[in-house]
Amino acid sequence: MKLKITGVVPLSPTIREFLLADAEGAPLPTAGAGAHIMLRIPGPERMWKNAYSLVSSPEDHHEYKIIVRRVEHSRGGSAWLHDHAAIGDMLEAETPQNLFPIPLLAYKHLLLSAGIGITPMLAYLQVLRKPFELHHCGKLEDAGAFAGLLPTAPNVFMHTNRNALDLEYLLAHQTLGTHLSVCGPASFMDVVLQTAQNLGWPGAKVHKESFGGATGGTPFIAHLRRSNITISVGADESLLEAIETAGLTPPSLCRGGACGVCETALLDGVPDHRDHYLSDTQRACNSAIMPCVSRAKTPELVLDI
Amino acid sequence: MIKSRPVYRPFALDVTGRAHLVITDQPQPPEALDLALANISLWTVKTIAPGVPAPAAERCRTFRAVPEMFAFLSHYLSRASIGLRFYAVGSEPFIWDAYNIGTGAGLTAAEMFLAQSGPPCRRVYCCHCKTMIDDVKETIAVCPGCGSSLQVRDHFSRRLAAFMGVKVDAETPGNIPLPELLSS
Amino acid sequence: MNLILKPAETYRGDYSVRNSDAAILRFPFPFPEDSYMYSVNIEPHVPGGPSVAYDAAFDLDEHYIGECADRAITLADDPMRCIVMPHLIDAEWDTLELLMESLAKDYPEQFVLTKDGAVWHWVNHPLGIDQKFTFGDATTLPYPPFEFITRQVQGDFTLQDQRDNNLFVEGGMVTAQADWSLNFDAGMSFMEWHAPVPLAHQSGVFERALAYLLRLQYGKPVRRLNWTLTANPRLDTSPENYPIWGPEKAAITPENVGERLCLRVELQTLTRLPRSNAILFGIRGYLIRLEELTRVKKWSRRMHRLIRDLHPDIATYKGMSGYRQTIIDYLGSFDDGAPTSSGTASEQTSL
Repeated sequence: MKLKITGVVPLSPTIREFLLADAEGAPLPTAGAGAHIMLRIPGPERMWKNAYSLVSSPEDHHEYKIIVRRVEHSRGGSAWLHDHAAIGDMLEAETPQNLFPIPLLAYKHLLLSAGIGITPMLAYLQVLRKPFELHHCGKLEDAGAFAGLLPTAPNVFMHTNRNALDLEYLLAHQTLGTHLSVCGPASFMDVVLQTAQNLGWPGAKVHKESFGGATGGTPFIAHLRRSNITISVGADESLLEAIETAGLTPPSLCRGGACGVCETALLDGVPDHRDHYLSDTQRACNSAIMPCVSRAKTPELVLDI
Repeated sequence: MIKSRPVYRPFALDVTGRAHLVITDQPQPPEALDLALANISLWTVKTIAPGVPAPAAERCRTFRAVPEMFAFLSHYLSRASIGLRFYAVGSEPFIWDAYNIGTGAGLTAAEMFLAQSGPPCRRVYCCHCKTMIDDVKETIAVCPGCGSSLQVRDHFSRRLAAFMGVKVDAETPGNIPLPELLSS
Repeated sequence: MNLILKPAETYRGDYSVRNSDAAILRFPFPFPEDSYMYSVNIEPHVPGGPSVAYDAAFDLDEHYIGECADRAITLADDPMRCIVMPHLIDAEWDTLELLMESLAKDYPEQFVLTKDGAVWHWVNHPLGIDQKFTFGDATTLPYPPFEFITRQVQGDFTLQDQRDNNLFVEGGMVTAQADWSLNFDAGMSFMEWHAPVPLAHQSGVFERALAYLLRLQYGKPVRRLNWTLTANPRLDTSPENYPIWGPEKAAITPENVGERLCLRVELQTLTRLPRSNAILFGIRGYLIRLEELTRVKKWSRRMHRLIRDLHPDIATYKGMSGYRQTIIDYLGSFDDGAPTSSGTASEQTSL
């Protein structure tokens, strides 16, 4: 669908809010809390395809609201949105999809977020039907921007120093019906997920959406065996993007290593797995790769594609 | 055996749990249970003298009957912390009733472990009049609610903790096959 | 879309329901070949296909009023044919939104939906319903939201919660089922509720189907066809009421098989719902008497061969053991042995 930027609100030097309406003013498809849209953002040399969580309510069919952090060593998309996007600009977007839905059986929601990972939680807060507790961890310079977005309530906590959150105590003292939903950079997620696992949290009660962290990396070569093409994957693009630039259209969905749709068989080379989908066994035997996020440890990979 | 019919593994502790609650409808603990481990509680059912409760104890408790145990279970689970693993060992209706108390308290399948012990003994749900029939040991059961002769199927509902019963002679009334003993 | 409605006919007792010529020609005949085996056979649910029955998001036909009336009778006798577990309340509103918007879009002469913020106004001309309500507030509707709207749409519906890499059937309006019990199956996982289907489990059909459905995207519904046979055009062939319809099966004879025996086809749709992330499973059933079906030459030949050569386990599971030979004999008289083309289209514009 075609969206028009109808509002741009800087919340801090690096955090900016955007309002998006249908280009023709038609009602937008309903987007559940936790959903994201994939925006196609025009860069100087190529199109970026970036996912942003919707922070607006599912009942707002006039505009979607997203919050974008300008990533420091930006791969392009967020930088363009901060530096160039203006009211009236048009962007292509895909129908919202939800890979971070609210767990419906929870008796209580324990929400943990860090940095821009707060965005799906902002949508959650508008619709949660059960009691919840939200703990947000952020950098000091972002505290003002995020505090303004959060309600003042006894169950909403801002931690500007991650050590101020006693994660171990929090996760060790939750009643059986509590579900944990966590979103943030990979380093934050790793600590939370590991702590939860150590304390005996079952996977079915831990819900996560990762907003990456380490994007891009060392360039490498990929041989696409069945297509008889060899491509080079640059430092600032993903393997999937490089495959698409070469003219192929492999199946993909979340573009964040979570959903499994882009799983591709690997014929040679050692992958650098950065996904959340493959099993430990699959990772260990180097038989498959998720090209949307993963890269290479060896200079070359051979894909069965 | 059809996919809805549960298949049970032998009792064993899940080491990823921080605390363990083991309950059984029998007076003795399940085999292979090492009570020396500090974070295990064991509950059994045993009659000491008619109506007389067993002395209160921290980790090993004995109840006068299953209903008393289940009442205590609901209360216990409402205050337990995530990290608990819950085990029920006993007759098939007992372990699934325990399972449903567990899900009511917020436990998921990954946190609960069921092991069936004792002879085959099914609870059957008459899908015509919705009556529950206990202690069924044969392939045909007569429903005390509506009088139908029911074919005892292997299709099992965890929520109802019962097997499906459907009128065996619906198409040709009176034509009822001879019952056989249930093998599981 | 063009919709010509008949007054209500019956699906029980005297079974007065009949298909017009137009209904016969648009029937979603499910067999592209002369033989049948299970497959995942899912395709995108988009307009266009061998029959106009595939054009609307939720197809309505001339039997709309009669089917809604039959559903109301079944529910009056057994309210537990409509169950939605409390945690799926958002899925109820998702379903109401989806069905109202679809019907208003596809059949604008019969259904009108206007919105003023959260205040909605729904008009259903054929059933004489004029309802103002507040979206999200169940106290402003005469029935819970899921029940309210599914009473006004042909076909059964179930709601599946997606969690823990699995689907759980935890809601439904099931009054026209092919012999399964919502009250018994409510709460079951995908493999559990499909447990009674023979053969399919060995070939991995259900594993592939589940993996596919877990990735079902919002805005991209899919569909597939399923089929069975029913004695008399009866919608309520539930296990609960087997004592009523069971004897009707036994009463099928060579003299009445053409009139009474029906091919029952389910056009199944699967749609991702936005607020709940649940999956809405639509089971739109179509009934056609064999004597109506055999007015289409290609379908006559194909049905004969397919039933004749069907795997015995599938025949048993679909409940036709008692009259399979009777059907084969009846259909045999319509099969001249000529080759039939692939595909399901009738290849006739009149009967």
